[in-house]
Amino acid sequence: MVAESAQAAGPVIDVRGLVKRFGSLRAVDGVSLAVHGGETLGLLGPNGAGKTSTMRVLSGLSPADEGSVHVAGIDALREGRAVRRVLGVVTQDDGLDTDVNVRQNLELYGFLAGLSRREAASRTQEVLRFFALSARAEDAVDDLSGGMKRRLAIARAMVCRPSVVVLDEPTTGLDPHSRNHVWEELARLKSQGVTILMSTHYMDEAATLCDRVAIMDRGRILDVGPPPELVERHAGRSVCELRLDGASRESVREALRAARCEWREIGALFRLAGDGGDAPDLRELPGVRLDRRAATLEDAFLTLTGKELREE
Amino acid sequence: MSVDSAIATAASPAARRQRVRLRSITGVWWRHAVALARVWRVAFTWFFVEPAFVLLAMGMGVGRLVGTLPEHGPYATFVTPGMVVGMAMFHALFECSWGAFQRIQGNVMETLLTTPTTVTELAAGEVAWGGTRALISTLAVGGLAVAIGWMPAVSLPGVMLVALFVGLEFGAVGLCFAAGASTLPTLTLVFTVVATPLFFFSGSFFPIEVLPAALQPVAWLAPLSPGVHVARGIAEGALDRTHLAAAGYLVFLSVAFFPLAVALLRRRLVK
Repeated sequence: MVAESAQAAGPVIDVRGLVKRFGSLRAVDGVSLAVHGGETLGLLGPNGAGKTSTMRVLSGLSPADEGSVHVAGIDALREGRAVRRVLGVVTQDDGLDTDVNVRQNLELYGFLAGLSRREAASRTQEVLRFFALSARAEDAVDDLSGGMKRRLAIARAMVCRPSVVVLDEPTTGLDPHSRNHVWEELARLKSQGVTILMSTHYMDEAATLCDRVAIMDRGRILDVGPPPELVERHAGRSVCELRLDGASRESVREALRAARCEWREIGALFRLAGDGGDAPDLRELPGVRLDRRAATLEDAFLTLTGKELREE
Repeated sequence: MSVDSAIATAASPAARRQRVRLRSITGVWWRHAVALARVWRVAFTWFFVEPAFVLLAMGMGVGRLVGTLPEHGPYATFVTPGMVVGMAMFHALFECSWGAFQRIQGNVMETLLTTPTTVTELAAGEVAWGGTRALISTLAVGGLAVAIGWMPAVSLPGVMLVALFVGLEFGAVGLCFAAGASTLPTLTLVFTVVATPLFFFSGSFFPIEVLPAALQPVAWLAPLSPGVHVARGIAEGALDRTHLAAAGYLVFLSVAFFPLAVALLRRRLVK
């Protein structure tokens, strides 16, 4: 639907050379990215990578220091108001209004966003149904579970039927069941043609929901691509890990050097780059357990950033 | 509104030129009205029960001791307009400092800014609601005063108009504190340093003329004084040139703090 017309006109979200400074810190340090109509793009990175700052700038909530940001052809840096007319925004904190009930959260938001009171009321009923919250419509926000609060925050962003949605860590802090629920709903929005830009620090979330993933660290995008391509490019097909089972670290290091392997140490775990695990003499190392598994986005992330993406 | 038309509207030159969006202000105001309606039983005590006790204690208790004031008549009728305006100040100040602070901390304001609402419009909605609360308070306490004969009914609309301007003024003052205070203890300064001294030294409980001569000009310039003076003039049906000057000063004050409130709120919310 919307996606087609938007695609013809170029990327729906177009960020070029974006720089955002906080004092001497370059929170966003030259980010360029394009999100096409109907696409889901994930910003994957640890806390402090610049994901939130990037999303706030393109939502028109935060000024930028350099670069350009266009959303649906609108200059987000100059016309924040116009951008927020077409954009649904889910901030990291749900930002729900505890002074009014669930239904009123949606209706008041819709009214403020420009719907008439009647439209706001009818759209509220629709999104409550879509997000399976109808039964809780008259409840106090504080009585909802964490997962329901998040779904309400996403529902709120959808009240005005935005064609583009920006979600900042939509499942952080949720239990696995609630995460699945949110994932299902995001997948349904995607199937309706909504363009989605989301940030996450969950590998599985990025791999499941996103058509493409941009790996971010320290304000920069290190690489962008479909998750399988990123894995292939930076971690190969499989990963070989050595677990110490009595052997000393130094003896393992020596053996790896002798076998001309590259490796990283994560605690007592040695992760070998590429297919180094094939070297036969490694398998015969005493006191070492050798595991081989399919490479994941996490391995690609590790190669790119030199660090693990810990869930904080 | 369909998505395509939403994009078309957003991209239209008219939408881009729009300087002030009325819907933003009414939307924020409406949110506050709904939130208040949700707790109307408790709110009844804020607007009526507590102020009624204070008014009756002053008028019947202190008023019995003081008797009649020269140039003003019975103490109860003297103190009533001052009380009513003072209560209006408290309502606007409370809403726009304590209430707004909670809305900043709870990210409610950030959420409101994800709609096509600007910081200035958000602040205007907050302050407009401060003015509205001042009006409701004045209707409640002033209505009681009228019912027990401490204020003529005919003066109520005029006193309410004064209360509206007082509400806008102190709504902006409260918002300055809400946006400027980083912690709750700092925020309490708005009551200890601003509201309480003003409540007692702006001519509400005793004429400013009884203060030491050196302090009188300060008291006259204090931001609650013009409201009290004009409301009393209206209630006593005796308006002169001083009331005209005070009214002008009040109108000036009702907008004077708003730009600062917007600047502080922007600094707080837009990073």
